[in-house]
Amino acid sequence: MMNEPPPPTAVPQYADFDFELDNNAQRLPLVLCLDNSRSMEGRPIQALNEALREWTRELHDDVSLSYSVEVAVITFGDQSVTAYRGAEPLYPGMNLSPFVPAHAFTAPTLAANGVTLMTEAVELAMQIVAARKTELRKLGLQYYRPQICLVTDGLPTDGTGHYTTTWQRIVPVLAEEQRSRRFRLYAIGVGGITERGQAVLRAFAPTYNAQLQGFPFRELLQMMSASAAAEQKGEGEEAFEKIFHQFRTQRPAWEA
Amino acid sequence: MSGANGAGARTGRRVLLDGRPVTLAERPLKGGGEASVYPVEGEPGIVVKLYRERPGAEQERRLTRMLAMSPLGDRPIDSNQAPELAWPTALARSPEGAFLGYAMRRFGEPEHVQLVGLFTRSQRLRLFPERADWRFLLGVAWNLAFMTARMHHEGLVVGDFSSSNVVVDRNGFVTFLDCDSIAFTDRGTRESFPCLMHTTDYSAPERQAGGPASKESDDFALSVLVYQLLAVGNHPFGGVPHDSQEDSTVKDNIAASISYVVRPERVVVPRGIIDPTVLPPGLLTLARRAFGPGVLDPKSRPTAQDWLRALDEERGRVRVCTARARHTYGSHLTSCPWCARAAATGQDLFNAPEPRQQVRTQVHVPPQSPQPPPVPPPLAASGRFDARKLVWALMAVIAVIILVALLASAMDP
Repeated sequence: MMNEPPPPTAVPQYADFDFELDNNAQRLPLVLCLDNSRSMEGRPIQALNEALREWTRELHDDVSLSYSVEVAVITFGDQSVTAYRGAEPLYPGMNLSPFVPAHAFTAPTLAANGVTLMTEAVELAMQIVAARKTELRKLGLQYYRPQICLVTDGLPTDGTGHYTTTWQRIVPVLAEEQRSRRFRLYAIGVGGITERGQAVLRAFAPTYNAQLQGFPFRELLQMMSASAAAEQKGEGEEAFEKIFHQFRTQRPAWEA
Repeated sequence: MSGANGAGARTGRRVLLDGRPVTLAERPLKGGGEASVYPVEGEPGIVVKLYRERPGAEQERRLTRMLAMSPLGDRPIDSNQAPELAWPTALARSPEGAFLGYAMRRFGEPEHVQLVGLFTRSQRLRLFPERADWRFLLGVAWNLAFMTARMHHEGLVVGDFSSSNVVVDRNGFVTFLDCDSIAFTDRGTRESFPCLMHTTDYSAPERQAGGPASKESDDFALSVLVYQLLAVGNHPFGGVPHDSQEDSTVKDNIAASISYVVRPERVVVPRGIIDPTVLPPGLLTLARRAFGPGVLDPKSRPTAQDWLRALDEERGRVRVCTARARHTYGSHLTSCPWCARAAATGQDLFNAPEPRQQVRTQVHVPPQSPQPPPVPPPLAASGRFDARKLVWALMAVIAVIILVALLASAMDP
């Protein structure tokens, strides 16, 4: 393997699952929109990376979910918003979808650094979901309602790391999108998120917002899987609320 | 290990199974909105399903009644076959005596795989190593129709019938999980226990609209599952309608009776679809009835017995491709559809893709030999397997015919 010449671009490596011709299951796009700004440094980002790896294994093993779910990762931190196609960051102009079928998904290893471009990250999440829907429709493929999971421990900032109110511009957009059932947005505050930070999340996701103690990423990702399973089963909204409520009221066992 | 305050409000890890204390594992195997399924410490053969919200008296009566029943008990026993129903084996109660759920035999991986695992190549190859050819899929469809026909004969309605709550083993035997949602009527008290669950991708329009589960709604779900097996995973209500502006789903296509199997011109057909004509004519006719008039008219759906009969006719006639391993197909075709598809798409549905390195080096190597031919699997083993199954199948069919005849005569005034 080491002696192999590297592939010219990232494309050939992924060509295989672009052409998953034998799977025309109804798809379930799932976006993880993750804060990796400076405040996540140390134990929190480590916990996030571990949880992502474990969740990826569970997803691969879940015969039912891995049939439908496609995962995209967006991070905000480090001076920018980055979309990942599996473990590989995408750069502007690459023109590749960040969605990877669950069975082929590998999680990126994230480092914490920089500012909190939360608004831009949520906008990108909405864009990639809309673009993926268009792509799927062209292929004659159906989709369940996508899930976007926003996780942060801070306040939205601008590129210089200062709090900004630009997040307010997406509140009406998000409200309309959620009302039209274009996706379900989960907004989760973790660690030492402030009341002000949590207020932003409440405005973004009136139904599915939560403030959690510590960094229970494992439980959080399992909740995303449980919601995906409920979507696959065709459950009504009350089932999602129940799953979310259970998640919100549970305390992770490893927390004091 | 984690303190008493860790797990939250549930009843703790000790439950009584018909009075016998057992300890449940800390984490459930699976958790949904309604219930979670837990392993039992020291007893790998069973699991316990606990309802999240304290179940009512009706659910307790249902399960108590079920414990006294032994459905599908009359089938010819093949020692290799797992039970077809994950039937409750004991009530689970808290140490204080409150009804919490029930115990059943565990049907877990790797021995038992959800039916959906047969629907894509990658999962088939990972989970069903050597036998997952089309003949195997046909055999699984037969087993599914057989199970359904006999449940209907015994007055049981599956209700929540989907590719996730049926598991398949390496011999293609099927087991239905989630028996606590089966609809039936207590013969003694006449109390009827309806099925309150369903999975929308397999729900007939009348169930989507809130109607009760019935044999006919089972027939609809069975038709979809059989079609998916024979079309190697393709859902008959896939495709995006041409006139749709917004999101489109399997559920919507079912409700609007839009199936490409009957009316392909109405949708953007999913790319890479398998032509419905891989189904032998008798089976395709049933599929077109189920996904045409049968969508909105429950009475015109093919029944489990119709499927069983038609599947049975095909089982003995399956053709084996001489060119490539694991290619088997219906007797109505004159050439191998899987070879044709592999030639057209570059992907062999039943064989693993060649390792990437190999593909890459091929570019550099002078074209001395075409692809290395895949080694055919030993045919003797699969031949023996089939002969045994055929005998068993014939016995089973005879049993069904006798049962049906008995039923018919019993109902004669």
